[in-house]
Amino acid sequence: MNHNDPEFDRMEEALKKALRRQQAPDAFANRVLARVAQQELDRVLTKRESILTFFTRPLTRWATATALATAMIVGGLYYRRAELKAERERAEGEAAKQQLVLALRIAGSKLQLAKSKVKQIDGNENSNRQVKE
Amino acid sequence: MRRIILPCFLLLTCPVPGRAQDVKIPPDVEQLSARAKETVEVTMDGPMLRWASKFLSAEDPEEAKCAKLVANLKGIYVRSFEFDKEGAYTSEEIESLRSQLHRPEWSRVVGVRSAAEGDNVDVFFHLENDRMAGIVIIAAEPKELTFVHIDGPLDVDQLADLGGEFGIPKLDQKSLTKASKGGTK
Amino acid sequence: MYSEAVREPPMAEPLSAEKSAEIADSDFAEIVHRYEAMVYSIALHFLADSAAAEELAQDVFLQLHANLGQFQSGDHMKFWLRKVTAHRCIDYKRRRVLPQVSLDEAPEAAGPTPTADPLLTRRLRQFVASLPEKPRLVVILRYMEDLSADDIAEVLSMPVATVKSHLQRSLAMLREKMQREKITRAPGEVAQ
Repeated sequence: MNHNDPEFDRMEEALKKALRRQQAPDAFANRVLARVAQQELDRVLTKRESILTFFTRPLTRWATATALATAMIVGGLYYRRAELKAERERAEGEAAKQQLVLALRIAGSKLQLAKSKVKQIDGNENSNRQVKE
Repeated sequence: MRRIILPCFLLLTCPVPGRAQDVKIPPDVEQLSARAKETVEVTMDGPMLRWASKFLSAEDPEEAKCAKLVANLKGIYVRSFEFDKEGAYTSEEIESLRSQLHRPEWSRVVGVRSAAEGDNVDVFFHLENDRMAGIVIIAAEPKELTFVHIDGPLDVDQLADLGGEFGIPKLDQKSLTKASKGGTK
Repeated sequence: MYSEAVREPPMAEPLSAEKSAEIADSDFAEIVHRYEAMVYSIALHFLADSAAAEELAQDVFLQLHANLGQFQSGDHMKFWLRKVTAHRCIDYKRRRVLPQVSLDEAPEAAGPTPTADPLLTRRLRQFVASLPEKPRLVVILRYMEDLSADDIAEVLSMPVATVKSHLQRSLAMLREKMQREKITRAPGEVAQ
């Protein structure tokens, strides 16, 4: 576009100034990285949701739980941003909490299995005793 | 083969870190994951447990109880393998797990062998000065093998309190006491 | 000469395919820092809403992260970012079914105004925000990114002639508006 019009040129200059790039908000990059981390976590959690069926199969005693993994996003680069680190730690902490819950559920379900077996034995012993009597 | 590997902050295939009283998972048992249809691995040592427990909500009664229990623990280690068919693991592999607990500090309080159903469950307590310092559960089912080691000063009452929380059933202490007096088949 | 308020650091080297794969794992944060001003500003000037602009910009970078392996060079990535941002801006507006606002109603785009003539800057931004979607993007890409008509046509997937037409009409409208304001404004009266 070719303008021999100083006023037009001034207008264009004014437009350039008005539309110049602005700094992104503070910690924008950190928030992006946190969302990326969360997205990865969600993706893995979604993929892992089907392990819930693992806990309801015959012979399994698992209560439902969520399985997690966050290993993909951890990198040294992210530790340089304190805000991102905090957000990420929160996501990872939740994941770790779920791990913990899962482990306790597994332990509990196997204890329940042991308990049921013991009860079964007790029941058999009692009935044998009654038969003898 | 589906493998759920949960210890995201630690090396995934490292055995339990060595301490004198630690129970390690033998390599041949770790390798069962190659044969398993699904594997669950949880490895959480003390610092990880304490960190994870920060995210347990004090306002949630269940999570609050869990936090109280976990506060004293040194580690939770779980390996659970589910197989497509029976006979995927051998009795030698189970024995390699159990053999680690043939030590004075470990007492087997439950040992159930069910020939009919094929379920074998062993529960071992680690006692220090007559107080619980750990528990190991080995559940060998026809298509499933589970190893749980909870390491730490563990009060049986606290463990029992967890029963019913998160779907963990209540543990009847009387049953355990009776079983330790000879409940095995 | 158009001077940018925010400059990008130069890319050290063009990206090879292998480098693209490496970027996926470790340099993404650097990429975000490099292009955040560009992406955010396109969205900001289009939407005239800093919160919406940030949300949109974040979405663009999430999409970038999902596609990191495909870029052959920094220029390719930059082109992609402009293109995706522009299209997301249009989608964003359409999803929210916002009516076109008149120049007088158009909100002012957030962000610091150059001090030379803040009122003029504000009016210009309002004007841009009042344009229909495609002409608005054309004006932003022309005057914010200093793109040629050919480049704009490529980014917006429209014929070059259409780009030129949008630009001409938009500038003509702006000029007329500015002229009218000069005529109708009494001496000493400031434009609202």
